[in-house]
Amino acid sequence: MRSGSSVAGRLFAIAALLAMPLAAQWLNYPTSGIPKTPSGLPNLGAPAPRTADGHPDLSGIWEADHNIPCPPIGCWDMRASPQFFDISTEIKGGLPLQPGAAALRQERVASNGKDDHETKCLPSGVPRMHLHPTFRKIVQSPQLMLMLLERNASYRQIFLDGRPLPEDPQPTWNGYSTGRWEGDTLVVETNGLRDGMWLDRSGTPITDAARVTERFRRVNYGNMEIEVTVKDPQAYKAPWTTTIKQFIVLNTELLDYICLENEKDRSHFK
Amino acid sequence: MWNTWLMHRIGRITLLATLTLCVPAWAQWLNYPTPGIPRLPDGKPNLAAPVPRAADGHPDLSGIWRPERAPCAPLGIAACGEFANMGARLQGGLPYQPWAAALVKKRTADLGKDDPVAWCKPSGALRLLTFPLYRKIIQTPAVTVLLSERDVTYRQIMTDGRPLPDDPSPNWNGYSVGKWQGDVLVVESNGFRDGTWLDRNGSPMMEGAKMTERFRRTNYGNLEIEVTVDDPKTYTTPWTVRLRQVLVTDTEMLDYFCNDNERDSAHAVGK
Repeated sequence: MRSGSSVAGRLFAIAALLAMPLAAQWLNYPTSGIPKTPSGLPNLGAPAPRTADGHPDLSGIWEADHNIPCPPIGCWDMRASPQFFDISTEIKGGLPLQPGAAALRQERVASNGKDDHETKCLPSGVPRMHLHPTFRKIVQSPQLMLMLLERNASYRQIFLDGRPLPEDPQPTWNGYSTGRWEGDTLVVETNGLRDGMWLDRSGTPITDAARVTERFRRVNYGNMEIEVTVKDPQAYKAPWTTTIKQFIVLNTELLDYICLENEKDRSHFK
Repeated sequence: MWNTWLMHRIGRITLLATLTLCVPAWAQWLNYPTPGIPRLPDGKPNLAAPVPRAADGHPDLSGIWRPERAPCAPLGIAACGEFANMGARLQGGLPYQPWAAALVKKRTADLGKDDPVAWCKPSGALRLLTFPLYRKIIQTPAVTVLLSERDVTYRQIMTDGRPLPDDPSPNWNGYSVGKWQGDVLVVESNGFRDGTWLDRNGSPMMEGAKMTERFRRTNYGNLEIEVTVDDPKTYTTPWTVRLRQVLVTDTEMLDYFCNDNERDSAHAVGK
C-alpha cells in the first residue's frame, strides 16, 4: 500500500528518460546550486549551504538512511531504515519502557500491527515522519521551517519566530513545534502530540504527555542528522535519544502519494 | 463528513472561549498575535494597509487566508458560493459540454455520494481555494507553498523558472509554475488527474485541463485570485472566476484530518 505510487513514479521517470528531454519532467529536473566535484558529480561532502541570515540552510529533499545494517530478524524488501520498523535499533540496551508500555508494544507486534495508524492512512506523526521511505522536502524561511511530506501530500510547520510552545494544546498528530538555533544546530521542541501514536512499525508507543526534542544538524551538503530525544514519563522510565540520518535527494521533485487512493489493503488486516 | 468538519469549527470556537477564561492569550496559538502586521492605534490589524513586499521587491502573498463569505443556498454551510457551484457567480453558470451537464445533474441527484472529498480524497488545487477551512501561503523566491487545513495538505507553485512538465503523471493538484507580471503572480498548471470534482455539485475537470491563476494582493487584508480553466473536453469555452480571499490574523492553522474517526462515508448512499 505504501510504496506503490512512488515506485510507479520512479519507473515512470525511467520511461520518461527514454522518450523526452531531461528538463521536460520534474522527476529528473536538475536541482539548482549543487556543489560539484572537479569531475562534475555532486559534491555531497561540500559544506552545508547557508541562508542570508548566516544559519545553515536545511532546505532540500531528504530521505532516511536505509543503508544501515538490518535488524536480527532480517532485512525487508523496502528501502527503509531498520529504524522505520523498530526505532530502538540504534539504542544500546533498548528502550526504557514502563511495564504498561512494554505490554502494549508486545500486543501490537503480536497483532501484526493491524491497528497501526499508518495502515489506516492516517498521519505518521512526529518523529516517525523522518523514517518513512517516501521523501520529505524542507523549505526553510527565517520565521518558519516547512516539512513537505510525499506521504499523503501532507506538511508540518516548525515555527522559528520565537513564540513559546502552547501551554495546553489541543493534541494533534504532528504536535506543535518551535525551533531555535544553537550554533549550527536547529533545536526543535514539540509538545501537544496526540495519545496512542506508534513511533514505528513495531508499535513503540508515545503518549500525549510526551515532549520531543529534535536536533537538526546538516553535517555537510549531502547529509543531515536528526538527534531525537523523547521524554514521555507515562511510557518510559527515562528520556531516550536516537539519531536518524537523512540523505539529500537531488535532481528530482516530490511526487504526491495519497494513501487512501485505491486503498485495498485494510480489509485484509486481521 | 460535514459533521466532522462542523465539530472541528465548533471545537475551534469553544476552545477559544475556554482559553480566554483560563490562560493568557499568547499561551495558545489559536490566538497568538501574528507578528509584524500593521496595526491600528487600538491594536486591531490594519487590513487596508499597503501590500507587504518580499526582499526581492515582489508583493508578499504570505499569510493565512479564507474565502470571502459568499451567499449561501438554504442547505447551509456546505452550499455557499463557488464551494457549492464553481459557476455560482457566472451569468448562465459554467459552460458545460452536454455530457458534463448530464453528469452534474446525476451527481447532484445522487446527493454527491461519489464526491472524492466525501471519501477523504484530495480536493484538487482549484477546489481547495473555495474551502471554508483556512489556507496559508508561504512565499519564498524559488517556491510558493500553499498549506491547507483540510487534510493538512500542501501544494507547491514553482517559481524557479522551470517549465511545466511535458507529459506529467497526473495528480490531484497538478503541476504549477508561477512568474511575476508586475504585481501579479501568474500561475500556470497542468497534469490534473481525470475525474476531479471542482465543486460540491460535481462540476467535472478532465485530464488535459489547463488552469491559469492570477494572484493579486490588493491590500494588506485582501487577495484576489482570478482563475481561468481551459478544459475543452468538459467545457464549450474557457471560463474565468474570481475567488476573493480575506486575511485571517492572530491565529494559526489547526490540523483537520478528514480520515480521522471518519464515520460519514458509510452513510453516503445517495437517494
